[in-house]
Amino acid sequence: MTLADDDDAVFAHFHDVHIDRDNIAHYRGLMRSRLLINRCSDCGHWIYPHRPLCPECLSMNAVPTEVSGLGRLYMWTLIHQSRDPDKPLAEPILAAAIELVEQPGLRYLSRVVGCPPEALRHDMPVSLTWIEEAGRRWPVFVPLKAE
Amino acid sequence: MARNPLKDQVAIVGIGSTPYSRDLGRSELSLALEAAVAAIRDAGITPREIDGICGTGMTPLAMGGAGFLSLQGALGIEACTWGKNGWLGSALVFTVEAVFSGLCDMALLVQANVRGASMSRAAARDPFRARAARYADVGGDVGLGDFAKRWIHSGEPYAAIMRRYMHDFGVGKEAFAMMAVNCRNQGAANPDAVLRHPLTLDDYHASRMIWDPMQIADMDVPCDCAEALVITTAERARDMDVKPVYVHAMSLGGTRIGEYYENFGGWRDNSFQVAHRGLWERSELALPDIDLFYPYDGYTMDAVAVTEAAGYCGIGEATDLYRSSWDAGRGLLMLDGRVPVMTGGGGLSHGRAGGANLYAEAARQLRGDMGERQVAGAGAALVSIGSFFHDPSAVVLRA
Repeated sequence: MTLADDDDAVFAHFHDVHIDRDNIAHYRGLMRSRLLINRCSDCGHWIYPHRPLCPECLSMNAVPTEVSGLGRLYMWTLIHQSRDPDKPLAEPILAAAIELVEQPGLRYLSRVVGCPPEALRHDMPVSLTWIEEAGRRWPVFVPLKAE
Repeated sequence: MARNPLKDQVAIVGIGSTPYSRDLGRSELSLALEAAVAAIRDAGITPREIDGICGTGMTPLAMGGAGFLSLQGALGIEACTWGKNGWLGSALVFTVEAVFSGLCDMALLVQANVRGASMSRAAARDPFRARAARYADVGGDVGLGDFAKRWIHSGEPYAAIMRRYMHDFGVGKEAFAMMAVNCRNQGAANPDAVLRHPLTLDDYHASRMIWDPMQIADMDVPCDCAEALVITTAERARDMDVKPVYVHAMSLGGTRIGEYYENFGGWRDNSFQVAHRGLWERSELALPDIDLFYPYDGYTMDAVAVTEAAGYCGIGEATDLYRSSWDAGRGLLMLDGRVPVMTGGGGLSHGRAGGANLYAEAARQLRGDMGERQVAGAGAALVSIGSFFHDPSAVVLRA
């Protein structure tokens, strides 16, 4: 078994996440407020979810690479009812698939903040920011103001 | 045309179903066994004759549920030369391919479903259901601690896809509403259906919001139930006392999306589309030959997408199709004015059986012994079960 110096810290920080060999770099990035997505270093194709093989050229040279943080709102749902009957939601949770500008179809599931749900529009431009939740920082998106 | 050597070579010869209820107070295995015994008796065989089992689930060594090893042990079947677990539409396809390939001759297919802790707040309070969910081979705590994984094997993306559908094609929820009302009215005629009280289009629109824009009337009804089928070769079926229902053609379908639903590939590159293209490349029967249509209705979005994938209309055109197919007096869809949709009520009314009840209902209708609910002259059925992402089947059954 080989461990990087701070693997233990990643496991401890994300104690409730299924950390594995293929995704630990992504979570290490989250700890440093960097959104890392695997990118093929041979053909440049972005690979998500965190898989080790490039589906375009079959290279195994997938390198965790920081994205620009720009994207568009591809689709979303407002979750009104929690699964846990003992934890009703104070307000609906927005779950949004963000299509990142790096590549068509490259989408990251996240939340949109700083925007009332009724103002959301399909394909509206958004940009990455970070929120703090129970001692952990998570990537979320805000509407990109028209210049 | 693609190859279809299995055309009409494999037949359903036994059908067994349990009652459907919100709470039967029984284990998944118990329900599975009741359905299995009923199917074995219906086929007029003994357990000794079974030499292959397709159980319920996704993982081969699932314990404590209705997997093939548990079923074989509990039924005391001495020797099986084939065994596998399956789910949704794929389970029947796996079983038919095993019989056709010669790995077994008399297969038992069993699909048990219970109202899971993640499907219902009341179920989450039941200690038996909560414990089962923790160890279930599919499901459990969806997404764990990372929001970005929340949509793995989740219904929530279906709600987002539903909104995207309405946006992309400039439609409202009319098609979803008509499917929901259709299935409830079909189920009202089925004494085994869990939900039989009337549902109007207005009731649909007023129903509780779960994942906006998806409402509770868009979702199949979680319940405890099981279905079983006995499947054998056409040759052997001819020597049995039951009327065989033949598998004419079938296909599965998968895309590069895998398990990450936010990567939804769009309206042409999803599993329903792939499965139906695969089916029609193999089937000698075509839509005009189909008398009964069973589009999986885990969510109304599924049933709408299956209708389009089957070819009853173009992609995004289900609203117009349903309007022109709507029998307002009875609150039923009749495609091309003659093809009923989801006799028995499907998941939305009869109950959530992962689509296994659609196979059973279609086979019973094709036998022709449904009594008051029999569709006259039904000779062929299209049964399409699964998800945008996993385990979709498209199957033509014929009498």
